[in-house]
Amino acid sequence: MATRRTIPFHWSFLTVAALIPLIELAFPGNHHVGDLLRPIFIMAMLGLGLNILTGFTGLLNLGVAAFMAVGAYSYAILTCDIYPFRLGFWPATLVTVLVGLTVGLFLGLPTIRLRGDYLAIVTLGFGEIVEDLLKNLDSITKGTQGINPLPSPSVFGYQFRPETYQPWYYLFLGFLAVLVLLNRNVLRSRIGRAWISIREDELASSCAGINPMKMKLLAFALGAAQCSLAGALWASYLGSSGEPGNYDFQVSIIALCMVIVGGMGSIGGVLLGALVIMGFNSIVLETLTNYLKAHQLISSSNAFTAPGNWKYMLYGLALILMMRFRPEGLLPSRQVKAELHPLEPHAPPPSPSP
Amino acid sequence: MNLLEISDLIVRFGGLTAVNSVSLDIPSKHIVSIIGPNGAGKTTLFNAITGIYEPTSGRIYFGGGEVCRPFRWTTALTLALIGIIAALSLVLIVNVESLWDTAITANYAYQQTFLWSKAAGAVFRYFGEEPGRRVIIPFLIGALVGLAGAYAIWERSRRAPEVAARAGIARTFQNIRLFNQMIVLDNVLLGMDSRLRTRFWHAALRLPLYWRERQESEQSAMEILRFAGLDREAHQLAENLSYGHQRRLEIARALAMQPRLLLLDEPAAGMNPAEAQDLMKLIHNIRDRGITVLLIEHHMPVVMGISDRIAVLDHGEKIAEGTPHEVRNDSKVIEAYLGKDD
Amino acid sequence: MSGSEIFLQQLIIGLSNGMIIALIALGYTMVYGIIELINFAHGDLFMLGCFAALTLVGLLGLDHITAGASGMWFGLVLMLIVVPLFCGGLNWLVDRFAYRHLRESTKLAPLVSAIGVSFVFMNIGLLWGGVPMKVFGLGRAAAAPKDFPVLVSNANLLGQSAVTFTIKDLMVFGVTLSLMALLTWFVKSTRAGKAMRAVAQDRLAAQLMGIPVDRVIGQTFFVGGGLAGVASVVFAIYNNTIYFQMGYRAGIDAFTAAVLGGIGSLPGAVLGGLVIGLARAFCDQYIETRWTNVLVFTVLILVLVFRPSGLLGARAKEKV
Repeated sequence: MATRRTIPFHWSFLTVAALIPLIELAFPGNHHVGDLLRPIFIMAMLGLGLNILTGFTGLLNLGVAAFMAVGAYSYAILTCDIYPFRLGFWPATLVTVLVGLTVGLFLGLPTIRLRGDYLAIVTLGFGEIVEDLLKNLDSITKGTQGINPLPSPSVFGYQFRPETYQPWYYLFLGFLAVLVLLNRNVLRSRIGRAWISIREDELASSCAGINPMKMKLLAFALGAAQCSLAGALWASYLGSSGEPGNYDFQVSIIALCMVIVGGMGSIGGVLLGALVIMGFNSIVLETLTNYLKAHQLISSSNAFTAPGNWKYMLYGLALILMMRFRPEGLLPSRQVKAELHPLEPHAPPPSPSP
Repeated sequence: MNLLEISDLIVRFGGLTAVNSVSLDIPSKHIVSIIGPNGAGKTTLFNAITGIYEPTSGRIYFGGGEVCRPFRWTTALTLALIGIIAALSLVLIVNVESLWDTAITANYAYQQTFLWSKAAGAVFRYFGEEPGRRVIIPFLIGALVGLAGAYAIWERSRRAPEVAARAGIARTFQNIRLFNQMIVLDNVLLGMDSRLRTRFWHAALRLPLYWRERQESEQSAMEILRFAGLDREAHQLAENLSYGHQRRLEIARALAMQPRLLLLDEPAAGMNPAEAQDLMKLIHNIRDRGITVLLIEHHMPVVMGISDRIAVLDHGEKIAEGTPHEVRNDSKVIEAYLGKDD
Repeated sequence: MSGSEIFLQQLIIGLSNGMIIALIALGYTMVYGIIELINFAHGDLFMLGCFAALTLVGLLGLDHITAGASGMWFGLVLMLIVVPLFCGGLNWLVDRFAYRHLRESTKLAPLVSAIGVSFVFMNIGLLWGGVPMKVFGLGRAAAAPKDFPVLVSNANLLGQSAVTFTIKDLMVFGVTLSLMALLTWFVKSTRAGKAMRAVAQDRLAAQLMGIPVDRVIGQTFFVGGGLAGVASVVFAIYNNTIYFQMGYRAGIDAFTAAVLGGIGSLPGAVLGGLVIGLARAFCDQYIETRWTNVLVFTVLILVLVFRPSGLLGARAKEKV
């Protein structure tokens, strides 16, 4: 194994995250940092799913929120008292992941031979369809009400409660850590290599013997499964499936921003992206709004003063500017590679082309 | 024994006939060069052989058979399976609300025990009431669309490049197409990919097969790099290599596929005489390993120096074929390159 | 209404809406034909055009004029000039600043940039709805849908018939058909139009012929945007309600239409638009409104699986 000179960002992130609640305990007071981090973990899982599809394989997916919705609603249907299934946390989560995998395959099968931009629109349409279906099949999904309440999970005999956040925090962090590990393992294997080759040059890749159809299907299945898992955990966190409008285009774009801003194809990048984007969304914007409200600078009749009304613009500008100035993201995957494969000291310096 | 037989191949793009009734036989373990002025259809010919373009007419036989995915019983099974799944899905989708109502909502009281058998009975009764509209028609439509769709997708991928690759045809490109963001070693490992057996769960859980195969494949890859003279740069990014080394890397990647036929598209482009000599040695070594080589080249010293046979294309047609000596003195060839004295 | 009358009514509705979709699809297909990029922001550009039209209505005080007065026709014509110019100009700017430098880069970068632009446009629409003008509800609820005043009469041209074919429908047909004729003439006969076709067919060859490729591409964006602008005016007058998220749905419908007809083909976009419009109308009536979007999506998938080149598109081979 090559020696690492720097610790990969994703491990430092996870380690620091693991320590935060303990640090919070040491300093009494209502810091709420851990509370705010929980949704970031879940969105990071969504980002990891999108990372497989878009970051690695280059399949631009603008409807990952749909997979998350499928996960959330499946989990809700399986655990809520109003339906006969009433499964426990682990069986429900497992079934949800399988459902997500199946839905991913359903979307992947007809679309594997599509070009990038066509696929993007199809995924956009798919996201819309899922939202529509969830709204319209209201005898099953309870329409815009959502399915609730959901029982708090009971994990390894310990019964979670909505009031104490620490067990939730470590549950989500645990899931995130496991996903990071599994993702890293798959991405640093022949599978990851094949995916990258498809993204870089699909023609050359297939001429080298890679079957793009199979690899794309695999990406769809694994990506969708992860996004659905994120949805299931989200539902358990909310105690509700949420409403269909919670899984709209905006969520998909947030996930895309995470991957693009953080760094396409890099796990550490996705985590950083989640921190930056979600942090900005939940923490910065909220604090700013509260501050402005407190100083009465927000008026309800002036839409321009509410920071929340500038969200879309900022996400959009983030994407445009990243593509313009730093398309590889803040924490590009080549850096990760450079961390692991330090240049051999005796390699000849690259010579200019003739 | 002919490894590759091209017979009356025509490739047309709209109004342009790029390859016009070309026939060519490539004997096994030979080095054959295809030369001709630019635009003569040489790369198009390569693309047809490797499945990038579909021939308008004519046949290409490799190792005695055509290069396409055979329609085996497993294919029929998979298509049928997809058809059935599509059919069942459509039945489910069309009826989902009513099914849910009759099976679950009608039989389930909040927090009471749910009788699955009773629900199953309700489902059967529901379908039995109006079998035509609820079951048969959606099933048939779903099966039809599913089968037709799966077949359409399968059919369009029958002659895809990966089929030619797995059959044993490897190639390099006129404009180098390496995976620039990957290191040299990974580029070669990618060529081997079709023969690796690690699946995603082996990788995810780091099972023994993953470790074993990784070690074996990296060893083989290093061996190929040594053969191509690139082992010292194994961990460099492909895009940082010198131009000549990039061309070699493309060849190394192709060799990793363990092909029976290697197609080289202008491998000597941009090389100085010394590099060209090294390339000729490399091609000879490749042939000595039992690989047949088909070469497009403009660099005459290379062509004349290593070819067993040469075919000359001009405007999509084969105008001459023979040994280097025969071709060099063929009047049609001279005319194609230098023009006729009017 | 009798069965056949219902059918006729839906036919009219379908064709009218279909024409609007066709106009948007034309813009999509023109840009795609020339740089092989799906301009995601196109639907949102259409939405901004609607807001621009409403602003113009507010500025001209058209919401106070009774329909039919001469001032109204003047306002209409003004809208049909100003809004397309606005949309065309905006589209041109977007190409200049968000897409131009990404011409040579990987296929993902311009797409992602286009999505970014789409979002920026959406936000502009949201904020625009908060502008303190009476037409926008004095900026009270920025995100709420806005009513577009009835400028063209709803009077039924067919008199007492149960089937209604109003002046509005006539306007839609008239504007769209004449615009398509204009576009066809432009693309076939003018120098600019021929330059666009040349660049669409072979960019390098066009460059070698001395055609200023970047400028032509910019012009294409301008014309495509202009088409979206016309569609905005027609839509707003026809449907009388606009909201900042409408670009999303319109974009998907128009893209489906463009793909159905054969992307890159102008008559294909028109045919596709009409088919989608009709499909939506008939699905709304004979199946259920809530399944209409699913139907459109299914059509998209079926086309992409079975006939990706579309109904009128050429089966082009990619030269490697």
